[in-house]
Amino acid sequence: MSYAAPHIGWLQIAPLAIVLGTGLVGVLVEAFVPRRARRTTQLVLVFAALVAALLLIVAQWRDTMASGGVSLFGGSYLLDGPALAIQGTLVVLSILAVAVFADRTSVGQDAFAPAAAAVPGSDYEELARRKGLEQTEVYPLAMFGLGGMLLIVAAGDLLTLFVALEALSMPLYVLTGLARRRRLLSQEASLKYLLLGSFASALLLFGAALLYGFSGSLHLGEIAAATGTIAGLEGLLLGGMTLLLIGLFFKVGAVPFHAWTPDVYVGAPTPVTGFMAATTKIAAFGAMVRVVYVVGPSLQWDLEPMLWTVAILTMVVGTVVALVQTDVKRMLAYSSIAHAGFVLVGVLAFSTEGIASVLFYLVVYGLATIGAFAVVTLVRQTRTGAEGTVILGEATHLAQWAGLGRRSPWLAGALSLFLLSFAGIPLTAGFAGKFTVFTAAADGGAVPLVVVGVIASAAAVFFYVRLIVLMYFTPEREEEGEEGVTVVTSSGFTTVVIAVAAIGTVLLGVLPGPLLELLGQAVKFLP
Amino acid sequence: MLSLLIAHAVAALLAPTLVRAMGRKAFLALAVVPAVAAAWLVSQTSAVLRGDGPVEVVRWVPGLSMDLSFQLDTLSWFMALIVTAIGAVVLVYCASYFAASAAGLGRFSAVLVAFAGAMLGLVVADDMLLMFVFWELTTVFSYLLIGHYADRKASRRAAMQAIVITTGGGLAMLVGVIILGDAAGTYRLSELLADPPAGTAVTVAAVLLLVGAITKSALIPLHFWLPAAMAAPTPVSAYLHAAAMVKAGVYLVARFAPAFAELGPWRTTVVALGLGSLLVGGYRALRQNDLKLVLAFGTVSQLGFLVFLVGLGTQQAALAGLAMIGAHAMFKAALFLVVGIVDSATGTRDLRRLSGVGKALPVTAAAGILATASMIGLPPFAGYVAKEAALEAVLVSGETWVDTLVVVGVALGSALTVAYGLRFVWGAFATKSSVIPDPDAPEEDGEPRPAPVSRPALLLAWPALALAVGGLAVALVPHYGEQLLSPYAGTLPRGEAGHLTLWAGFTPAFFITVAVLAVGVGAFFARELVSRVQTRLHVPLEADSVYRRTMRRLDDLAADVTALVQRGSLPFYVGAILLAVVVLPGSVMVARTAWPAEVRLWDRPAQLAAAAIVVTSAILAARSRRRLKAVILLGVSGFGIAMFFLLHGAPDLALTQILVETVTLVVFVLVLRRIPPYFSDRPLAASRWVRLAVGVAAGLAVGGFALVAPAVRVHTPVSIDFPQEAYAYGGGKNIVNVALVDIRAWDTMGEISVLLVAATGVASLVFLSRRSGSLFRAEEADGGAAVWAGKEPASGVTRLQRAASVHARQASSAERYSRMRVWIRAGATLAPGRRSVIFEVVTRLLFHVMILYAVFLLFSGHNAPGGGFAAGLVVGIALMVRYLAGGRYELGEAAPVHPGLLLGTGLFLSAGVGLVSLLLTGNPLRSLLIDLQVPLLGEVHFVTSLFFDLGVFLVVVGLVLDILRSLGAEIDRQGELAGQDVGPGAATVHGGGS
Repeated sequence: MSYAAPHIGWLQIAPLAIVLGTGLVGVLVEAFVPRRARRTTQLVLVFAALVAALLLIVAQWRDTMASGGVSLFGGSYLLDGPALAIQGTLVVLSILAVAVFADRTSVGQDAFAPAAAAVPGSDYEELARRKGLEQTEVYPLAMFGLGGMLLIVAAGDLLTLFVALEALSMPLYVLTGLARRRRLLSQEASLKYLLLGSFASALLLFGAALLYGFSGSLHLGEIAAATGTIAGLEGLLLGGMTLLLIGLFFKVGAVPFHAWTPDVYVGAPTPVTGFMAATTKIAAFGAMVRVVYVVGPSLQWDLEPMLWTVAILTMVVGTVVALVQTDVKRMLAYSSIAHAGFVLVGVLAFSTEGIASVLFYLVVYGLATIGAFAVVTLVRQTRTGAEGTVILGEATHLAQWAGLGRRSPWLAGALSLFLLSFAGIPLTAGFAGKFTVFTAAADGGAVPLVVVGVIASAAAVFFYVRLIVLMYFTPEREEEGEEGVTVVTSSGFTTVVIAVAAIGTVLLGVLPGPLLELLGQAVKFLP
Repeated sequence: MLSLLIAHAVAALLAPTLVRAMGRKAFLALAVVPAVAAAWLVSQTSAVLRGDGPVEVVRWVPGLSMDLSFQLDTLSWFMALIVTAIGAVVLVYCASYFAASAAGLGRFSAVLVAFAGAMLGLVVADDMLLMFVFWELTTVFSYLLIGHYADRKASRRAAMQAIVITTGGGLAMLVGVIILGDAAGTYRLSELLADPPAGTAVTVAAVLLLVGAITKSALIPLHFWLPAAMAAPTPVSAYLHAAAMVKAGVYLVARFAPAFAELGPWRTTVVALGLGSLLVGGYRALRQNDLKLVLAFGTVSQLGFLVFLVGLGTQQAALAGLAMIGAHAMFKAALFLVVGIVDSATGTRDLRRLSGVGKALPVTAAAGILATASMIGLPPFAGYVAKEAALEAVLVSGETWVDTLVVVGVALGSALTVAYGLRFVWGAFATKSSVIPDPDAPEEDGEPRPAPVSRPALLLAWPALALAVGGLAVALVPHYGEQLLSPYAGTLPRGEAGHLTLWAGFTPAFFITVAVLAVGVGAFFARELVSRVQTRLHVPLEADSVYRRTMRRLDDLAADVTALVQRGSLPFYVGAILLAVVVLPGSVMVARTAWPAEVRLWDRPAQLAAAAIVVTSAILAARSRRRLKAVILLGVSGFGIAMFFLLHGAPDLALTQILVETVTLVVFVLVLRRIPPYFSDRPLAASRWVRLAVGVAAGLAVGGFALVAPAVRVHTPVSIDFPQEAYAYGGGKNIVNVALVDIRAWDTMGEISVLLVAATGVASLVFLSRRSGSLFRAEEADGGAAVWAGKEPASGVTRLQRAASVHARQASSAERYSRMRVWIRAGATLAPGRRSVIFEVVTRLLFHVMILYAVFLLFSGHNAPGGGFAAGLVVGIALMVRYLAGGRYELGEAAPVHPGLLLGTGLFLSAGVGLVSLLLTGNPLRSLLIDLQVPLLGEVHFVTSLFFDLGVFLVVVGLVLDILRSLGAEIDRQGELAGQDVGPGAATVHGGGS
């Protein structure tokens, strides 16, 4: 049996290798570094790795854009323009998201459970809490998750796609269950995410099998080639593509595969929510765009009815349901569903402008999302008891946010900015994002989708603005007995993250040109 | 122009600081910015008149073809002049309108200046996208301004309503803009208007633009936000809701009229809604008692008229429209400012409470009367000039009945204007015979007195007077106005050049004006009658309540949708996903695939029986309510599958399947002990059938896939060479086993690693602090312990028995075996009620046999059914039997070893085999075949993959042991500590009882 060793481009896989390697080293750190030094070690490791990965991505940008990318491992790893661009986005956003992980605020605790495996409410848990235990496994977990995401956007065959999907999902399932407060909710969320996620993975795998049955290959390029040559098997091809896309729809939270999103976003520790709301969606969209644009074009007419239905449902359901939410995290969760719909509109442009618009939208959305959830981490409930005022978990009920704009104008201002960006108000990045996406789709002939999108955006303005009104214009509720709301001071990380996200949101709103141009180079998929 | 905008932005940023330093006088300083802008615009007059107004283009976002391009043509120039001049006047007015101590002035001033800038940008922008950006900015700023009195609920609601409606319209406009830009290939207004595109899409776009204009200019049926927005401070009303923002919609219509006025839908919309607003607004203005609301509905009416005029598409109408825009800006702003003065002087705006204000405030009254005169179209005011031109314009095209109707509508609207205008003046300034009492004041005796009038600063009255006099002044030079505005009117496709004049002779328009004035004055004097008629006439459908109902419906709908799709129920979510699978790929399967031509139903009838078992148990499982039942039924269907395998001639698979099912069943039962016995406490009659239906549908769909997929197979299966390779390279006849340990050894390697991780995960979750707890040897059991004792107190007899058994354990082993008949070693640790002699005896008999059988399977597996995996499972089942018979101490006695050790050793062995073969052959995990002549045994065929299989065996044993120890033993122990009954039968016992 002759066997050709696969070509490995060390430079090209270096970002991925660094991130995954850091995850592995992080596990060892957990085992061998003394407890006191663990957090510092993990943080230094993680940030060093992320910055290094980012530098490496920047270093290969020019070459990759010039050459159109390289195909590694026999076509399993395709580092082309879109892949590199999304990898860069993911790494940048991860730096921000992980910084929120690290913030212990003035309360001196991070957002993660001291003993996640303990039965909620048990003595054991209480003991762990009193001892002030801190878990630093979240950092390696986040690295593994990010590794999966970096891989999935470059996955050139369906197996790599599946492995990457699992690699990015598993750590998230665990991270979801690690919330320090409201443990039962967190565990339930984790379980739901796992179970529903497993279904989605199974469907994706099923789809991959059908596609293999159709084309005799797992490589996207070869499947695409087969669509033109093999006749009489459209059933397998379409069935396979449908199942494959369902798996990815699940990850981006598109209706009707969105059911997990609100529960998981609410149950997960808020820094994790920010992380996965931004990065998972980006990674899954990266994979979806590749699948749709590499395999899809010849199937455009067959796939469009389904994709359109999902896009419209996603925008409408996400928006309509968000209207009645009374919990900030839940509202943001539904809004993220609606945003998935908007991105889908861009995907359905079936043009290079569509790809660029999707990439841009994802950056914009990711920035505002991480920023918004970072703000949520700082607004806390308090209870005044015999032993003074105790600061509890996050105050996520909308009513608790009334009057926040007066007490913490900067924080509320930042959140307002993110919300306006979500709503797509001009001069925020969100407007530029929506505009590029809608323009691309309109150019691509998807005018009805654009109309629905615009109507959904209009309705969405309502609930975003409602929160702003609440923060600035509604007088604070009288302190009812012992319960109160306070804003804790960040230990620095979160402040920086919010500031960066806010500046980015404004900058990309006022001057979206440079980034759009940059992303405009990165629209060519390797077959 | 860009510099002017930047100046506004800078002023807005500095405003809070200025206000802090100078107090309310800062408004005077801020007024300089729009004043300078107005001065600059005036300086450009001749250039604009020549048609070469300044143009500025700065590249902003090339990717979106979004440029910062500005252009000053006649229309822009005129609108910009209105915006800046009135902006300056209003800012001056603010300096004395607000109390020196008023709160929130910093923010207010900043937003007001920013609004002025945005408005200026909107009218001078030459790029549609830029225009849209400014359009939305005005929306946001107006929202902040309307909500200025944030502590008032009405204020907040009005602000919300305004932003929802105008943003909605704005987005509709954005769609229109995108379609237009797409069709024309440019977003530049000047280029687009020079060569307007055509087609259905463009018509749609034009209507969408109109939707934007209608929302912004508060035309029916979306006019109601404007009266509500009167909750804003009066300067805001004067500026936004009279002069500037609401004119944005008019501007938009005027801007696109030259290109689209000929389109049928455009004309219909403009005429119907424009005239409709004119009439509805005027009619409702008559009914209002709040002076500001009179003006607000009056504004709705006038805006309708304006949109009608500029949208009509004839040159005369356009000229009249522009003149009207200017006149309206001046008189309406002046009137609002006047109301502000009256309000601050008397503390009320209710015209039923005011009396004698005119005498007390003559200057204010003069301004109010002058402005009203312009509004109702008395000569020689600007309003008169504009209205005459408008009447001329509609009379010109009087051919069809529609045109006649239009003339009647305009005349009627004007008459209404006269009526409410007079009523306004009367209400604000007249000295009345009777007034109503102050609703807030305490009950008074005698006649209610009018609101007392105080004297506000004179500076407050000047801006209003200036505007009102301006309305007179411009009317005196109508030719100059015509000269300035006609370049725009000339761009319209139809009609002849119109004229602005004070006296055009005894034309039909003149007589209409006279009639209008007469009717209006008559209506004013008959106001009592009119108001009675109005009260009688009930309007069944008010736009405001429709809006509110719509919003409430939307809320309800959202709540319903949420309740429907987001019920937090995992089965529901899974059901949704399954249904999606059935519908999406299922429909593809039904519609797009060829079913196999011939299907052989069965090879032998026994398969039918197996199928019946599988199907029946699966269906029963789907509709069962008790967890245990569902699990057992699932197990049954698994055994049915095993039957299939057997009948198909795959004993190896069948064996494995049976073993796996058995282990799974036991693990399920162990877990179910700690879970409520029923899926739900509620009766599930209906939902059970739904679940069943979903399950059956999913089953049919997947079954269909399974039927279709092999039939359409065109590629050679990869396993075609397996039999030959298995024997040649793997040295075994059992293909399944060789595939596991040789052909697919890498996979197996990965799988056993996963097993190890899973086992570790389960154990760590249960044991928490350590990887695993103690070994539970029988000696550790303390004398009083009774495993699975439950909650019932030990009776005297049982206590005796236990004492005896403890005694027995402590006695010498010889004695023990001879006297007490101990069948299993730790049986005595069990609660007596839980012991079963039969079970113990059977366990005693079976355990060693099973171990032996496992060893046989392990070694024979290479050529016969069996192998490490099956063998490991058999050992696992043997351990389970011991645990079930004798509790955790029995398990400890049966396997006094930490599972981690087994797992580790197993993985080490398997990996080691790979490593060794890598060293020996250069290929990892390659089997070596060794044939030895062993004395006595004869020829021994030996394959190195046996060691690999041994590793698999150990890992599987370790896994089962780990599960038994954590989910079984440790949970028993924790349960006993917590005082719960968690014996293996607990789930069933509970189930039976409830």
